[in-house]
Amino acid sequence: MEKTFTEKIQICKKNKIAGLYPTTKFQVVILFSISTIVLNSIKLTDFKLALLLIPWFLLVPFMFAITGEFKKCMKAMKAISFIAIFIMVVQTFIVSGGKTLWVWHFIAIREKGLQTGLSLCFLILNIAGIFVWLFQSTSTKEITRCLEDTKMSFKVAYIFASTLEMIKVFSSKSKIILDAQRARGVETEGNLFIRAKAFIPTLVPLILGGIIGSEERVLTLEARGFSMKGNKTHLFNLKKSGYERIILTISIIITILILAGRIYLWIMN
Amino acid sequence: MIKDENKKFSIKDDFSMLALLIIPVGVAVNFVGGQLASLLKLPMYLDTIGTIFTAMLAGPWLGAVTGLLTNIVTGIANPVNFAFIPVSVVAGLVTGAFARANFFNVWWKWVIAMVAMGVASILTAAPIVVLMFGGVTGSGASLITATVMAAGANIWTAFIGTEGLFNILDRIVSFLICMSVIKVIPARNLIKFSCGKFYIKNKKEEK
Repeated sequence: MEKTFTEKIQICKKNKIAGLYPTTKFQVVILFSISTIVLNSIKLTDFKLALLLIPWFLLVPFMFAITGEFKKCMKAMKAISFIAIFIMVVQTFIVSGGKTLWVWHFIAIREKGLQTGLSLCFLILNIAGIFVWLFQSTSTKEITRCLEDTKMSFKVAYIFASTLEMIKVFSSKSKIILDAQRARGVETEGNLFIRAKAFIPTLVPLILGGIIGSEERVLTLEARGFSMKGNKTHLFNLKKSGYERIILTISIIITILILAGRIYLWIMN
Repeated sequence: MIKDENKKFSIKDDFSMLALLIIPVGVAVNFVGGQLASLLKLPMYLDTIGTIFTAMLAGPWLGAVTGLLTNIVTGIANPVNFAFIPVSVVAGLVTGAFARANFFNVWWKWVIAMVAMGVASILTAAPIVVLMFGGVTGSGASLITATVMAAGANIWTAFIGTEGLFNILDRIVSFLICMSVIKVIPARNLIKFSCGKFYIKNKKEEK
């Protein structure tokens, strides 16, 4: 049977985890981040390393996998891993202080550097990783709709949605302007000064167009009753996948267990 | 000179429909500015042009929201950007405050404003980068910071010395670009923004 327009624009996810309500996902992200910070405060071995963060990090790819977005998420993790590893290397080999653990010519690993390097690296990987999971498994359409549902002003939701659109429009527009300016003879290659000079003739028309265009958009929006008070109808609606309660309960239990473990260790010492 | 009758600014008045629609433009300009800078292989970020521009036209609150939204949107692709939300927000607030005080009409006031903007952004960025990222963020300037740190400098001085210099330079260039844009915006558009009238007066004096 032919689908109607409203049926076509609904998002239907087969994966129950990916189809979780965005607010639930956000709550999971917050609980995960809290647990990460608590785990970071538990130091193991003689060198006082936050080793528990490493097995905890295995949970992030696991989350990617059960959501069914493993490849997409791993792609987004690349930039983050680069930063995390860079920080780890810089900290381990450069920060001085504490005992020297290992020396090879001019490179030395010191106790303090290793401590901060390891904990910073895995803190970033864990917390950034879980945010990657949130945003890769949730489309911006869902986030916008959820913003409206959580009693935020519809203006906030509109601005968010409009920003994402505007970035796409401006990116393509800037390429067109750059090409047009090139055709007019503005040089975009050469030494630094020449390249810098090409920047302004590209950006100025872009911003000007945006400012003048926004006036028209105000008129369009007002003509369609944007600032009208009253109930609004929606074409796109969010559905709960039915697993919200279970997932949230599991996350809360894990967080409480970790907190309890932390407090137990405090009392013991 | 246009006389200002109601000197009191309320936050609610700031967020008019037109001002709201300037926010997406500002965020997109931030984004495209950064993209263009890397496309033209310029040794600068230039990703705060939109924030500065919005703040100069529509005041501190709009500037702050533009900064916030920029980092949220870029954070969707790379969550590390969430950590730098305070830096963008402060950049918008400081620039907007100077715009409100009509600081952008005489050249020596520009200089004060630019230095203050640069200093404010370093002061907010330094604690975040040093405490959360251990002094480096993986950018080009980070390599210099790391080298200075390896030479034995303190982590705070290393960061403020290298990244700070880049930051102030970045702010000056961004600001000059914004100024050149505002100069060519027609007066009938400028007057609709809360800080726009200051720049109209400028134009008359030049003639």
